[in-house]
Amino acid sequence: MSLRNLPTTLFVGAGIFILWLVTAFCGPLLMGTDPNALNFEALLQRPNINHLFGTDHLGRDILTRVVYAGRIDIWMGFAGVLPALIIGTLFGLMAGYFGGVVEAVLMRVTDVTQAFPFFVLVLAIVAVLGPGLTNFFIAIAAVGWVSYARLIRAEVLVVKNAEYVLAAKILGYHPLFIAFRHVLPNVLAPIIVYAMTDAVLVILFGAGLGFLGLGVQPPTAEWGVMIANGQPYVTGAWWICLFPGLATVTLGLGFSLIGDGLAKHLRIKN
Amino acid sequence: MRLKHCAKTAAIVFSIFFFISTGYAIADDIIRIASPYKVQRLDPVRSAAAGTIELYGLLYSRVLRLDDAGELAPGLASSWEVSDGGKTITLKLRSAKFSDGSPITADDVVFSLLRIRDHKESAYPAPMQQLDTATAQGADTVVLKLKSAFTPFIGNLEIWNMGIVSKQDVESRGEEKAFAKNPLASGPYKVKNWLPGDRMILEPNPYYWRKGYPKNSGAELLYVADENTRVSMLLAGEVDAVRSVPWSQVGSLKKRSDISIPLEPSTVIHMSLLNHKGDVFSDVRVRQAAAYGLDKGAIVKAVTFGYAKVANTTIPGALTFHHKEFPGLRYNPEKAKKLVKEANALGKEVVIVVVPTNSTAVQIAVIMQAQWTAIGLKVKIENVDTGTWWKRIPGGDYDATPTWWFNETLDPDLALRWAICGACGSKAFYTFYDNPKITELTEAGAREFDVDKRRAIYHQIQEISTNEVSQIPLYYPPLANAYGPRISGLMLSPALQWTLEETTVIK
Amino acid sequence: MQRYQVILQRLLHLLPVLLGISIVSFLLVQLIPGDPVRLMLGARAPDEVVAAVRARYGLDQPILQQYLTYLENLFQGDLGQSIVYRKPVGELIMERLPRTLFLAIYVVCITIPSTIFLAITAARHQGRKIDHIITTSAVFGITIPVFWLGIMMARLFGVEFGWFPVSGYGNNFFGHLHHLFLPALSTAIWMVPVLVRNLRSAILEQMEADYVVAGRSKGLPEQYLFYYHILKNSIMPTLNLFGVMVAVLFGGTVIVEKVYAVPGLGDLMISSIFGRDYFVVQAITLFYAVVTITVTLAVDIISTIIDPRVKL
Repeated sequence: MSLRNLPTTLFVGAGIFILWLVTAFCGPLLMGTDPNALNFEALLQRPNINHLFGTDHLGRDILTRVVYAGRIDIWMGFAGVLPALIIGTLFGLMAGYFGGVVEAVLMRVTDVTQAFPFFVLVLAIVAVLGPGLTNFFIAIAAVGWVSYARLIRAEVLVVKNAEYVLAAKILGYHPLFIAFRHVLPNVLAPIIVYAMTDAVLVILFGAGLGFLGLGVQPPTAEWGVMIANGQPYVTGAWWICLFPGLATVTLGLGFSLIGDGLAKHLRIKN
Repeated sequence: MRLKHCAKTAAIVFSIFFFISTGYAIADDIIRIASPYKVQRLDPVRSAAAGTIELYGLLYSRVLRLDDAGELAPGLASSWEVSDGGKTITLKLRSAKFSDGSPITADDVVFSLLRIRDHKESAYPAPMQQLDTATAQGADTVVLKLKSAFTPFIGNLEIWNMGIVSKQDVESRGEEKAFAKNPLASGPYKVKNWLPGDRMILEPNPYYWRKGYPKNSGAELLYVADENTRVSMLLAGEVDAVRSVPWSQVGSLKKRSDISIPLEPSTVIHMSLLNHKGDVFSDVRVRQAAAYGLDKGAIVKAVTFGYAKVANTTIPGALTFHHKEFPGLRYNPEKAKKLVKEANALGKEVVIVVVPTNSTAVQIAVIMQAQWTAIGLKVKIENVDTGTWWKRIPGGDYDATPTWWFNETLDPDLALRWAICGACGSKAFYTFYDNPKITELTEAGAREFDVDKRRAIYHQIQEISTNEVSQIPLYYPPLANAYGPRISGLMLSPALQWTLEETTVIK
Repeated sequence: MQRYQVILQRLLHLLPVLLGISIVSFLLVQLIPGDPVRLMLGARAPDEVVAAVRARYGLDQPILQQYLTYLENLFQGDLGQSIVYRKPVGELIMERLPRTLFLAIYVVCITIPSTIFLAITAARHQGRKIDHIITTSAVFGITIPVFWLGIMMARLFGVEFGWFPVSGYGNNFFGHLHHLFLPALSTAIWMVPVLVRNLRSAILEQMEADYVVAGRSKGLPEQYLFYYHILKNSIMPTLNLFGVMVAVLFGGTVIVEKVYAVPGLGDLMISSIFGRDYFVVQAITLFYAVVTITVTLAVDIISTIIDPRVKL
């Protein structure tokens, strides 16, 4: 497999992602300023030469905070998606491929999970485990896997009657082997595309759950929380929301281009 | 072809929109107020929550009321007389009616006042604690006897839960039914329709005792949680008044000629509670360090854009007998650091509990964290929702938490009993601050008739509690309400009561 | 015939699911610290009063006892009373349901045509400018915070231009259409991109499938191939995702409801959770469950109609 066969979108996406990775992990080393340092002499300053992205309602430098937040947000994108993706894929594959009782049971479990109002679950998780980022990931995984399971199952239902699957059956391969070796690779594309979107949604969601005590605790910089904190100032001090917003969009763009590229690559390979 | 059809449909739909778009402007002279606090109960004794407090004055008249100057004036009682060395109060009732036309009698007044004191679900019985007996003499005279002389009592007859309800109605319909949807009103309005968690629609009470009031044909109190939305609604002319405009938008709204923000005075105080039972703040030196370590001027500037005043004592600045000359514990980080070292508290962990939906509290918490870290404490912020907050604070499971309270009268008595006096019921707003001297002075102040002596007592209480840092006073904000161009005469009093009955629509 | 049997069976499955949900949610809500009484009575209520009110509403009973009482009332058709408002829960829900329903249908009406149109356009022009524009703006659509979009649209279209009201629900059908336009649009702007990306990817995949290549080589017209084969086969995964999202819509779109002051079910749900109004939470949870399961079932049925190979 040579790099030349890979789609350009994948390169562009990976480029953006790596750029963010470098910025987020090396940037703080170079900047030397404290992202949480308050400055009452410089409240709500427009972008200027001292503060390229302006300052927020506590006089904190937004550029510094956006860069520092990168680490947490990239981590959130991964840790918020991967567990849900793995659990959901396994369940969906089993349900779709084996059908019968397995499917009925698994699908009822997804019904219950999905039918459960998210906030009740999340609040209960906070109550039991206490606030913090790890519990945020647990809450996200506990609910997020359902979408993956349903997506995979729908795909599997179509693919499992394909000739190559029937052929593998006739050849007497173990059903698990067929499921993972023949079916799974052919149903992954939409999942990957969705996962890349999901990563962005998780980051945005993190901000929304901040007020339940989940996610990062103040004053840690995190894009979603920065955007949420800018809410009262949105009509006057637009820069508080804009820059972390742009950061989210660019990282999101990177993720989705990677998704598109991978999907295309998988299609070509098949 | 298809495109053309689409365009045509779109044109039709939009013209319909424009046609009906005139329909959402406010109807004739209904006054609409958007507030972040919702109505929860209609029974005046059974809730003390914000939003509900504002409504009670509109539905229920009280025996006394405050006039425009903030002085006690006749309400349902046309006159009152204090005798027996302050222990007996005789109220003469005027002839007035409930919203069904039945007369308001002395029996109703006795019934209503005793409910506040005795009802086992009364949310705020404190103001009636000194009442010994209440008796009706005939249909229009009520005699109140106090356990002992109590100066603030007469003023307490005016606060929000003192509304007069119909004894006959409550007894015949039963308490639950009587206050479920359409209680008999004695105030300027009665309930037209209540959509819980959405809006309260009021219509004039035709039997209201003040003839010629209300000067409008009704009101809608809308619950609108989002602050930006409230402002949008005011700017779009969908409401006439907005409660709690974000400080960041006060400046730009003030510049507009069609919006007025009078910044009415309030009895609100923003402060931080400290848990005196906790590990860190049980030491008075650490509490003092925490107070000296906070730059209140910077907080006022950052949080309220300079619209509030720095708080110098533990009680709201608008109260009578507030100690204006007292310097308070001014920002002095060096002194704070020294105190922390002396108390051996360097690096001790402090947990600030905060409700993140309250953006002001979060902002203050972050400042507290930064400035306390600077004086040598190790500070952690924990986000919790309001329900959990109310579990943790009364349970003493916190070190500090920024919050606020207000006082319903200008007399400081109830404020002290609520927030400073450790033996008065609420454990000094769950700080567990308990200084017997303060308790003693609080009682002495309430029994003192001489104004100068009372002042001296209350000044002493403020000095002691501020120096011992029962709480950390931060600032005294005005009310940030905004009013649209269509109405005149609407205000919110320091006791959080609307002057809605006086409000007219400008034609 | 068999299909109806399966549908009936699935509906029967609903019962244990609902029972399970009601038990779990009852336990979970009770697990969360804080109680409704303190929030309702206000700050200054003495502790003894809080205890008295708790006792009156049976909140001091053991959880199992409370649950059984609840279940007993439920079987008599009584959903219980809101502890906060002292109103029947059913009444509270019925006040809000029409708004949520209208908004959800409104959003669906905007979402389906625009999703299909944009996804097809992007897929058929894969790698070209128009494709890039659509996929990039999709990312923007997903990442723009709904509250930001809501506030900005309200200020621009509501306050500056005066085209649309910034709050409320309206009094008649056209009033609803008018009032809910901005809320529906804000929701769709978030929903459409997720679906477009999914559908576009599925279409692209089908376009290169063997049967399409075979059909093309036999000289079938491209239009026919696209609409009768490719689209039909690629819509399935998106349909499932769509089902998930519609269910979420019925549960209420909290932020949109808040920003445009349209108190719907989402708002009731969240405020009851924060207010610990147990029976309201319970009732909405069950309602939400019924809706979700019905939507899922509907999606599965539609799937079998589109693609008979899929079994229920």
